[in-house]
Amino acid sequence: MACGDGWNEAVLTRSGFLKWLIGIVGAVSLAGIIYPVLRFLKPPAALSGALGQVADVGPLSSFPAGQLTAVAVNDQPAAVQNLDGKYTVYSLICTHLGCVLAVEGDAFKCPCHGSVFSPTGEATKGPAKLPLPPYHSQTQNGSLLVGPIDLSGADYPGWYKGEFS
Amino acid sequence: MSVSADQLPKQTPSEAKRRKPGLVGWVVNRLGMDDIMEDQFNRVVPFHATNYIYCFGGIALVLFLILAATGIMLAVYYQPTPDTAYESVVNISTNVQFGWWIRSIHRWSAGAMVVLVFLHMLRVFFTGAYKKPRELNWLTGVALLLITVGFGFTGYLLPWDQKAYWATKVGTDIAGSVPLIGHFLLVSLRGGQQISAATLGRFYDLHVLVLPAIILILLLGHFFMIRRHGISGRL
Repeated sequence: MACGDGWNEAVLTRSGFLKWLIGIVGAVSLAGIIYPVLRFLKPPAALSGALGQVADVGPLSSFPAGQLTAVAVNDQPAAVQNLDGKYTVYSLICTHLGCVLAVEGDAFKCPCHGSVFSPTGEATKGPAKLPLPPYHSQTQNGSLLVGPIDLSGADYPGWYKGEFS
Repeated sequence: MSVSADQLPKQTPSEAKRRKPGLVGWVVNRLGMDDIMEDQFNRVVPFHATNYIYCFGGIALVLFLILAATGIMLAVYYQPTPDTAYESVVNISTNVQFGWWIRSIHRWSAGAMVVLVFLHMLRVFFTGAYKKPRELNWLTGVALLLITVGFGFTGYLLPWDQKAYWATKVGTDIAGSVPLIGHFLLVSLRGGQQISAATLGRFYDLHVLVLPAIILILLLGHFFMIRRHGISGRL
């Protein structure tokens, strides 16, 4: 059987072949645009990783004794408590459903469901039961450095831990 | 009493032929725009216009579409405040995946669009395509050229680096030298006597809201008139 016999019945015509070729080249080109665009829209890992970094929240003089001062730790809401020179940084994310707490006098109040937390972070009223977690923090050269969150105080649910990862 | 087939209204042969199959056909059949679409897509380009110099306007449009797409993407990460503008641009170029790619495309396309719009203007001028009845399209074209330059000027400030700051200082000073209304132009552009956060906000507003709205309206008019007049005759 001669080599060329099979070509008499054209399974794939010339225009059919070209249509496939254009389709494949077009699809590859389109994928080459869509893939970078999707990757672009995904937030960069370096930014979400910033939550675990040490943040300098300011000089100690900006946290008056006996008061709660609201600060941002790596863009997360927090409050610095100064008890006679002992600094504690609490997260301001409510342990009930994740609302941001308001600092009112010497207590934390949740605008969503009325939970109230004492200056030591204990839940004193409302639907929230778990205490506010503190951040690891230390004073250095007159500044307050804030590290990662300390979630060892209670058995926090997974979504709550996720707020800090 | 049942209706027999020959009592139903007959489709004329041309009507039956026009009904198109498939998903595109489903839409086309419902819009009844076959004639209009065929007329739009089956234009014969005159032989004298099959020259590369007649492509400048079309290339400028493609660049505009690329700029719109990449600009929408850059706006996802860009933050127009003096404290964060430069950092957010650095973030796009270094942290965001393919951010350097999107930003480079936006920047190079912006420069290329100014060049192409200018070349397009030269082509129209030297082929005499601006003559009656196309004067109005020439005028919209001039407006489009100025808006393209306006895009470049307002976009230049957004990275908020030294070059951006001083270019905007010089540019708004020039606006301030216009007789009578100069001072009004200067404070309107800067949002005050000095270049400040207000200037950045205003330039960002112009760059992503005001100028895009104006250029879209003018482009539609520009293209409508091209279709209305047809391609100009040869030299």
